[in-house]
Amino acid sequence: MNHKMLRLVFTMLAISIVLATGVVPSQQRALAQDRVFRLWHYEPADSAMAISWNYALEQFQAMHPDVKVEFEEKVFEQIQETGMMILNSDDVPDVMEINKGNATAGLYASAGLLTDLTDVAEERGWTEVLSPSIQTTCRYDENGIMGSGNLYGITTYGEFVMVYYNKDMFEEYGLEVPTSLEEFEAVADTFVEAGIVPLTLGAGDIWPATHNWYELVLYQADRELISNFQFLQGDVDFHGEAFTFGTEKLAEHVEKGYYGDDATGVIYDDSNAAFVQGTTPMNLTGSWAFGGFTTQITDFEWGIFLMPGKQFNTGSGGNLFVVPENAENKDLAYDFLDLVLSQEAQTVMANAGGIPINADISQIEDEKVRELNAAFASIVENDGLAFYPDWPVPGFMDALGAGLQELIGGSMSPDEFLESIAVPYEDYKSSLE
Amino acid sequence: MSQESLVIASRQPQRFNRVNNLLSLVSLIALLLLMLFPLFMITVNSFKTDDEYYANGPMSMPERFSLDNVKSVWERLDYTTKLKNSFVISFTTAVLGIGLSLLNSFALGIGRIKGKAFFLVFFIMAITLPQEVLAYPLYYMFKEVGLYNSRLSVVLIFAVLHSAFGTYLLTSVFSVFPRELLEAAMIDGCSKLQLLYRIVVPISRPSLSVLFVFFFILTWNEFFLPLIFLVSNDTQTVPLAIAMFQGQRGTVVTFQSTAALLGILPCVIFFLFFQRTLSRGITVGSIK
Amino acid sequence: MSYKSSRGYWVFLIPGIVAFLVIIVIPMLANIGISFTKWRGVGDPTWIGLANYETALDDKTFWASFQNNFRLIFAMTIIPTCLGLVLAVFLFEHTARRFGQRTASFFRAGFYLPQIIPLVVAAIVWRWIYQPKWGVLNWLLTTIGLESQTRNWLGDADTALYSIMGMLVWIQIGYPLVIFMAALQRIDPELHEAASLDGASPFQRLWHITVPLIRPELFVVVLTTSIHALKVFAPVYAMTSGGPGRSTIVASYFSYRNFFERANVGYGATVATVLTAIIVALTIVFITIQTRQEQSEGA
Repeated sequence: MNHKMLRLVFTMLAISIVLATGVVPSQQRALAQDRVFRLWHYEPADSAMAISWNYALEQFQAMHPDVKVEFEEKVFEQIQETGMMILNSDDVPDVMEINKGNATAGLYASAGLLTDLTDVAEERGWTEVLSPSIQTTCRYDENGIMGSGNLYGITTYGEFVMVYYNKDMFEEYGLEVPTSLEEFEAVADTFVEAGIVPLTLGAGDIWPATHNWYELVLYQADRELISNFQFLQGDVDFHGEAFTFGTEKLAEHVEKGYYGDDATGVIYDDSNAAFVQGTTPMNLTGSWAFGGFTTQITDFEWGIFLMPGKQFNTGSGGNLFVVPENAENKDLAYDFLDLVLSQEAQTVMANAGGIPINADISQIEDEKVRELNAAFASIVENDGLAFYPDWPVPGFMDALGAGLQELIGGSMSPDEFLESIAVPYEDYKSSLE
Repeated sequence: MSQESLVIASRQPQRFNRVNNLLSLVSLIALLLLMLFPLFMITVNSFKTDDEYYANGPMSMPERFSLDNVKSVWERLDYTTKLKNSFVISFTTAVLGIGLSLLNSFALGIGRIKGKAFFLVFFIMAITLPQEVLAYPLYYMFKEVGLYNSRLSVVLIFAVLHSAFGTYLLTSVFSVFPRELLEAAMIDGCSKLQLLYRIVVPISRPSLSVLFVFFFILTWNEFFLPLIFLVSNDTQTVPLAIAMFQGQRGTVVTFQSTAALLGILPCVIFFLFFQRTLSRGITVGSIK
Repeated sequence: MSYKSSRGYWVFLIPGIVAFLVIIVIPMLANIGISFTKWRGVGDPTWIGLANYETALDDKTFWASFQNNFRLIFAMTIIPTCLGLVLAVFLFEHTARRFGQRTASFFRAGFYLPQIIPLVVAAIVWRWIYQPKWGVLNWLLTTIGLESQTRNWLGDADTALYSIMGMLVWIQIGYPLVIFMAALQRIDPELHEAASLDGASPFQRLWHITVPLIRPELFVVVLTTSIHALKVFAPVYAMTSGGPGRSTIVASYFSYRNFFERANVGYGATVATVLTAIIVALTIVFITIQTRQEQSEGA
């Protein structure tokens, strides 16, 4: 009995080890006959971006029939957190999607993990397709700060933050789309009086409230402040006008009941659900939610408006496609990037409900999508892209998001909050010198 | 359970027995339902469509029970590969882990080596380490030998990590191992190796079975280190795949529930299967 | 046992020692080394001596995280061990005897189930339970008339940590249960029979017979669950990301954040080293006590 058990265990052990070690995936071991082009991205399969990129992949395959195309849909968390380890190894794809901003793309660029695309971009005309403000998030200097320097990635879409609103509820209470901050507050007050929570907010997750906050800060901001803040240059006074105004305004809104009592216990998905179900009339969130709302909202009419009465808006170019320094087939990578930036692929994105950067808006069939794209275009035209508040410093989202949770929960005053974010910002900035 | 104790129990008054029985059974079942309620929620939400979830919330029942979600999730995650990976990794790790634990505990618990406490601490250091500590050093080490992004890397790490606990548990148990048996066998001329697999292993089968189940399941549910070391889709495990539906902004809740359900089922099946072995292989009073 | 016969046993330790050196010791030493540097994870680290440790001393989050870990020991060690023991004895003596081994095993499997599911899944479900508007907990409280007790469980800094503890107890109970039930099988039932014939109550039998006899497993459970509580990472990662504010941050999560999100690898290594030191100290104390106890009980 004992011998049999042992033998059984040992055989199974042997088999398992063989299986475990047998297929060790590694680029070096791949059959070198056919070239393999590898693309990794993490946009959901039904998103406008993924649809457009699939289209580009098909065109790519047609262009290179002898190349094996391997696409992997990735887990966002994994790329976001271990991106550096992946890029530092040999197991890299030829084209990879990464988050824009100093904390990710900037960090990788300054560590030498990304191919410098400046020359290729000029040759192939990418720099003409990407407008200067969109290029801000594609260029990084030797410290990994965006805005200037070599081009390390390209983006194919834009994103921005807006207020989605329930047209039926507005009509019911005789409200019009606000054209100034005061009008916006008046609208919210009307709902509060009627016993309805005006704005949904998923402050249970760490990032949603940062958009609400930043939008209010932008009311008193100018391009100089935004550039200084984002590019870690000049002097940024966190207790200055813009930041103080925004923070105190947010605290005021919370106190007036604009976000209800439980915002910090509600996660982002659920906050969207409250809007979809028609419980809350307004939802300040990004263009990424647009597609979902289109299919999920069936009971009422809805529309969008930008937070009114200011030039600047939270938004930027979308996530980047980069070519890792260790990539095997850089030429194939460049061909693919050509295709995703082409008008055809971009028009596919537009018709799928996305915000392309190189498409003819008048060609868009769906009225709502046209509205969406027109809003983004207007921000870009007015040089209004203000990016996102957590970008400047790696890990800034923690201080910012956690601080906002406390501000909304009432356990931190506006001054304390501003102090709590000034410290990590200044620390990182001085560490670069 | 000896015969005598059963007899004693039955001598108690009948009616009190029945009411008591019923009460205890009912309260156990209530407790069990409370424990399992969350799993029920996952199941319910796996069959809903996204629109249903957003319209009615997670507590509602799905409108119809279709396997559509299961099919889409299975394909999108390439679930067959993930299952295979998880199984191979968990199984190999469990076996290796038990092997290492046995060898260590044999020396420490039965052999009673000098400095036993020192070695115990040495081995348990593995459990004391937060896993983040291992990430960077092992990343660089494995990269050097080409083991980055391979299943073997994860197997090696977890086998060693689990064997820390296994060594600790088995050493504790072996320390109170009946000496008479060992001495009898040694007098009969057993070598140490024979002592191990002829006497020690069979008698500690309950503990070994428990360890095997633990190791398998613990490894199956590991998320953090596989996140670091298993990068391409063909090496990834089930828990990593479940995270797929947690996008950058927002989650596809119903698909995530389906993926979660699919992720739980193999473990549950494995555990239930092993339950029987556990109860069958146990004999109290084998000493007698 | 004589020294001569223990010598032959050293051979058996070799595989274990080698494996541990490679997978555990070397990384641990590397980590300590990294804690004295400033490093982004790629490229060359810069030596900065004790600077990271000085920063840690002043860092409020650093202290808050360790505080939370110690609080969690209550939820992950004390409660599950006691409840697990009681339940194990109940199932083993009571249920198994009256309804058979199969039934007891069935319940044991059921209670162990939360240990089997991936933490990510548990986190999803418990977030549903704690949802302030339509979550199960608040709904239940309202239904039985305790509406005043409803809370913003995960969103309120006062209740967030306790809410996570609730989930942790749910997850942890199965573990001591299974270990104790296996341990109970080692006890000779005649001891209990003799005691009950002498008039001992179930509690007295538990305290005077059962507990001393399953001491090895008790030690293992208490030590491992305490270590687990100090190392806890995944529940915080999945449920609250350390928030709201700093109310649920734990040492492991804090060091992870520094390692991966902030690319502040040196500081992350510092936090991890301190955590490891605490755990090692705890372990040494424990094992020394346990070994001395065993020795005094006699070989």
